[in-house]
Amino acid sequence: MTAAGAPRPFGAFVAASAAAGRLVVQPRMGFGDPGSMRTGLERTRAATATTVGTLTIDSYTRVGDLAGARAALAEGAGLNGYPIATHPLDVTRSLLDGLHDDHFPVQVRHGSARPQAIVRALLAAGLDATEGGPVSYCLPYGRTPLRESVAAWAEGCELLAAGARPGSVPHLESFGGCLLGQLCPPGLLVATSVLECLFFAQHGLRSVSLSYAQQTDPGQDEEAIRALRRLAGEFLPAGVDHHVVLYTYMGVYPRTERGAIRLLEASARLAVRAGVDRLLVKTTAESRRIPTVGENVRALETAAAAAALAGPPVPAAPDAGSAVYAEARALIEAVLGLHPDLARALPAAFERGLLDVPFCLHPDNAGRSRSVIGADGRLRWSDTGAMPIRPDAPADLAPLTANGLLAALNHMADRYDRPPADPVSAYRRPATARALPPTPHPRHEQEPAMDHAPQPAGPALPPPLGEHLRSPQLRAAMLVQQEALQAARDFLRGSGFTELLPPLVGPVTDPGGRGAKALDVDYYGRPYKLMTSAILYKQASLHGFPKLFYIAPNVRVEPEETATTGRHLVEFHQIDVEIAGASREDAQEVAAGLLTHVAEHVWTAVPDVLAELGRQESDFADVRSGKYDVCTHHEAVSRLLTAGHPQSPDSEIDWTGERLLSLESDRPFFINDYPKGSRGFYDREDPERPGVLRNFDLIAPHGYGELVSGSERESDYATIVTRMRESGENPAKYAWYLKEAHEGIPASAGFGMGLQRLVRFLTGLDSLWQVSAYPKLPGVMAP
Amino acid sequence: MKILLSGTASDSHTWNLVYLGLFLEERGHDVVALGPCVGPRLLTAACRRHAPDAVVLSSVNGHGYRDALAAVRALRAEPELAALPVAAGGKLGIAGRSGETEAARLRAAGCDAVLGDGAGDLEALGAFLAARAQVAA
Ligand code: B12
Repeated sequence: MTAAGAPRPFGAFVAASAAAGRLVVQPRMGFGDPGSMRTGLERTRAATATTVGTLTIDSYTRVGDLAGARAALAEGAGLNGYPIATHPLDVTRSLLDGLHDDHFPVQVRHGSARPQAIVRALLAAGLDATEGGPVSYCLPYGRTPLRESVAAWAEGCELLAAGARPGSVPHLESFGGCLLGQLCPPGLLVATSVLECLFFAQHGLRSVSLSYAQQTDPGQDEEAIRALRRLAGEFLPAGVDHHVVLYTYMGVYPRTERGAIRLLEASARLAVRAGVDRLLVKTTAESRRIPTVGENVRALETAAAAAALAGPPVPAAPDAGSAVYAEARALIEAVLGLHPDLARALPAAFERGLLDVPFCLHPDNAGRSRSVIGADGRLRWSDTGAMPIRPDAPADLAPLTANGLLAALNHMADRYDRPPADPVSAYRRPATARALPPTPHPRHEQEPAMDHAPQPAGPALPPPLGEHLRSPQLRAAMLVQQEALQAARDFLRGSGFTELLPPLVGPVTDPGGRGAKALDVDYYGRPYKLMTSAILYKQASLHGFPKLFYIAPNVRVEPEETATTGRHLVEFHQIDVEIAGASREDAQEVAAGLLTHVAEHVWTAVPDVLAELGRQESDFADVRSGKYDVCTHHEAVSRLLTAGHPQSPDSEIDWTGERLLSLESDRPFFINDYPKGSRGFYDREDPERPGVLRNFDLIAPHGYGELVSGSERESDYATIVTRMRESGENPAKYAWYLKEAHEGIPASAGFGMGLQRLVRFLTGLDSLWQVSAYPKLPGVMAP
Repeated sequence: MKILLSGTASDSHTWNLVYLGLFLEERGHDVVALGPCVGPRLLTAACRRHAPDAVVLSSVNGHGYRDALAAVRALRAEPELAALPVAAGGKLGIAGRSGETEAARLRAAGCDAVLGDGAGDLEALGAFLAARAQVAA
C-alpha cells in the first residue's frame, strides 16, 4: 500500500486508460487462500494488458454466513472466493501490500444482498471500489426479501461513500446488466443498470459504472451499450463520474478451449466497437470449475490482444434511439414515476410487475415475463407480464420443457463450440494451406497497443524442487511427455529417420540468436561450450545419415528478463531433425506431420491425463487433422504494425508480437522468410531474394507461441564463411566444421522442435517450468 | 413420487433448479421446489411439512460437498427423516470432476446418491428415483 493518501481513484484510472485508447481488462478471480489470492493479483498486475485487480468473495461470506467461511477455512476446504470478512485484517492488508497503488486499482466483487460487513472489511483494508446493487445482488443471489436488500444497500452505499480515506473517490459498479446471466432481453438489463446507478447516486456515491453482459447477438448488444451510455448521460446527476463496463458472456459458457477463447475475443471486439472502457473476462475453465491464476491471466491477455487488434471504435451514429433504448427508457420512467426515491420505487416496481425478470425464482419477482432467442439470434420478449413494454416475439404456446430450456441456455456454448465451417485440406504444402485472415482495420494511435511490462519474479517461479517433483501436475506432464517422445520416435523412424545421440560439449556451438549465450566449460584447459544446439553436428552427419534426428539436451543462457515469459528454460530439449537434399517445404511437411502425429498419439494414449489437466479433445482438432496456416515474416510484421504493436521489420518477431499472433490464431501456423540479420549463418539465404532467408518458425495457436524453428541450410563453403563474417563470428573458431564444409556437406533442411514447448502446448500448462522435472529459469539459481 | 427439490445453503444458482424442476416433472413426479440458499433448518422443516418421498439437492457453486454434508447430517439427525432417500448432484466441488474423498464422506453421512453434472448423472438420478418409486409402491 502506498503510505500516504489513497491510490488513484478507480474511476479516474479507467478514464485515463480510456483516454489513452486502452481497454481496461479485469478478471473474476477469487481464492480462499491468501497466498493464491496474492499471486493472482501479482500476475494480474504483471499481465500484458491494462488491468485492474479483483477480489471475488466466496459464497459463505456472500450469504452472510461468516461462521461457515471460518469453519471451511479451518477444515482446509477449498472456497470459491476470498473470505474478506473472515481473514484477519492484517492478512488482507499484506495481501494488497505493494500491489494496490496508483497503477493498479483493486475492486471487490461479491453478490451479497446485505453488503455491510463486506463494505466495512474492504474499507478497513484500504479499498474503496466494489460492485453490486439492491436489485442485482438480491434477485439472482438467494432469498433475501427485496425490501431488506434495498435497505441494506442504502446503508452499504452510505458506508462506502463516507468511509473511504481522504482523497479517495469510492466507486460502485452496478451488476444490473447481468441479473441471472442469460435469457434476459437487453432493455431490462440496461434499465436496471441505470436505475441502480441512480440509486447509488441518491445514497452518496460520486463515481459509478454501468454494466452490460454480452448476450446472444452482437448487433443487439451494441445497441444496448449505446443505449446504456445515452441513458446514463440523461439520468445520472451532473458531476457523477461514470463509465460502462462489459461482461464477457455470463451464461452457460463454451466447453472447448477454442469456443471459450472465441467468445471472449468477440466480447473484447464488442467492447472496442461500442466504446466500452472496461471488460470483465471469462476463462477457458468457466464451464467446469474455478479457474487457476494462469487461466485468468491468459484470458486477460487474450482479451487485451483481441481488443488491440480490433481497430478503432466505430463512431456512434447520431442515434435516433434504438428499440433497446426505447424499451429501457420506458422501464426507467415507469419506475421513477412511482416515486423519485428509488429505495421506495424499486420494491414497488417489482411488486407491481413493472420490472419482471424472466425465469427468476425469487419470491419478490412477479415471474410473469418470458423470453426467447429469436430466429435472428436476438433476445426477445414473448411475454412482458405487467411491464410497460410490448412483446416482440409471438407468445410461447407450447409449455417450456427441460430440453427446450437447456437448448436456450446452451445456445451460445453450442454456437461457439461448433467447429468452424471452412474445411481446409490436411497440411501438404504451404501453397495449399490457408493464408492468415486479412489484416484488421488500422488502429490509429500513438502508443503501442501493449505494454512490455516485465513480469515480477516470484509467482512465476517453481516451488522448491522436492515439492515440484512430488506434485501431481508434474507427474501428469511427464506422462504426457513420455507419450510425446514415443510418438515422435515412432513417427520419425517410420519415415526412415535414424536416431543419433548428440554431443554435449564442443569447441564451438550454435551462435544462436535472441540474446542467448553459450555456457563455457573448461575442457582440459581449453574453453569448450555446452551445446546451445547441435546444428553443426547435424549437418556434418548427413553423409552417413541422410535422415537423422536427436532428442537433444541444450543449454542456453537466456537473458534474465525472459525468466517469466513462461517460454524459456536454460536447460531444455529439442527434437532435432535434419534431412539431406530437402527443401524448406519438405522440412515443414515433416514438422507438421510430427506435430499432428504426436497430438494424435497422446490423445489416444493418455486422454484421461489430458482431461484431468483441463484439456479437451476438440482443442486439438486442427492440429490432429493437419490444418496449418502459413504467412511470411513480412505479413506478420504488417499485421502487428497495423495493430499498433511496434514490431521492427528487420528482426525477429519479438515476444509480445509472437504472443499476439499466437493468441489471434486458432490453428498452428508457419511464419516463413525471416530477414537475414535475425538468424544464424547456417539458414540459407534465398538466391532470388537477397536478404530473405529460406527459413520458418511454426507457431502454436492460443498463445502457446513458437514450437519449431527450421530452415534450408547453407552448405556452400565460401558462402558459409561470408555469412559467418557478416554475422560477426570468427571463422577460425569453427575450424572443424569449416573443414567438413570445405570437403562438402550435403544441402539439407531441418528443424528443432522444443520438447518442453511441445509438452506445454499439449498439457495447456502456463509455464515451461511446469513441464520440466528439473527446471532452470534464466537468472534463477536452482538445483 | 413427491420430490423435494432444493438448492444448498450458500448456493444462489437457480438455472439448475429451474431445469431439474422441469426434468423431474416430465418424469411424472410432483415437485416441491424450495429454491436456492436453503440452509439445513429450512430443509428439515420443509421435509417435515411436505413429507416428500425423496429429496434432490442441487449445487453448482463449488461448496456443494460441504453444504450437502451439513444438509444430510441435519436430515439424518431427525428420526422421522433418517430414512428419507436423498440424492445430491451438480458441480459439487471447486475443482471440476474430482472429490472422491468428499463424495465418500457425503455417502457415509447418509446421502444415498452423489452425482455430478453430466448427462449420465441425470440418467442416474432418474434410475435412482425409479428404484425408490418401486420400493415405495
Ligand atoms: C449463470 C451463472 C451464474 C449466475 C447465476 C444466476 C442464477 N440465479 O442462477 C450468476 C452470475 C449470478 C452466478 C453467480 C455465481 N457463480 Co456462477 N455460474 C453461472 C454459469 C455461467 C452458468 C450456470 C448455468 O446457468 N447453468 C445452466 C444449468 C442448467 O446447468 P448447471 O447449473 O450446470 O446444472 C446442470 C448440471 O450441473 C446438472 N445438475 C445440477 N444439479 C444437479 C443435481 C443432481 C442430483 C444431478 C443428477 C444433476 C445436477 O444438471 C443440470 C443440467 O445439465 C456457470 C458456468 C457455466 N456452466 O458456464 C457459473 C458457475 C456455476 N458459477 C460459479 C461460481 C463460483 C459462482 C459464484 C460463487 C461467483 C464466483 N465466485 O465466481 C456466484 C454464486 C454465489 C453463490 N452464493 O453461490 C462457478 C462454480 C465453480 C465450481 N463449482 O467449481 C461456475 C462453474 C463458473 C466458474 N467456472 O467459476 N453464476
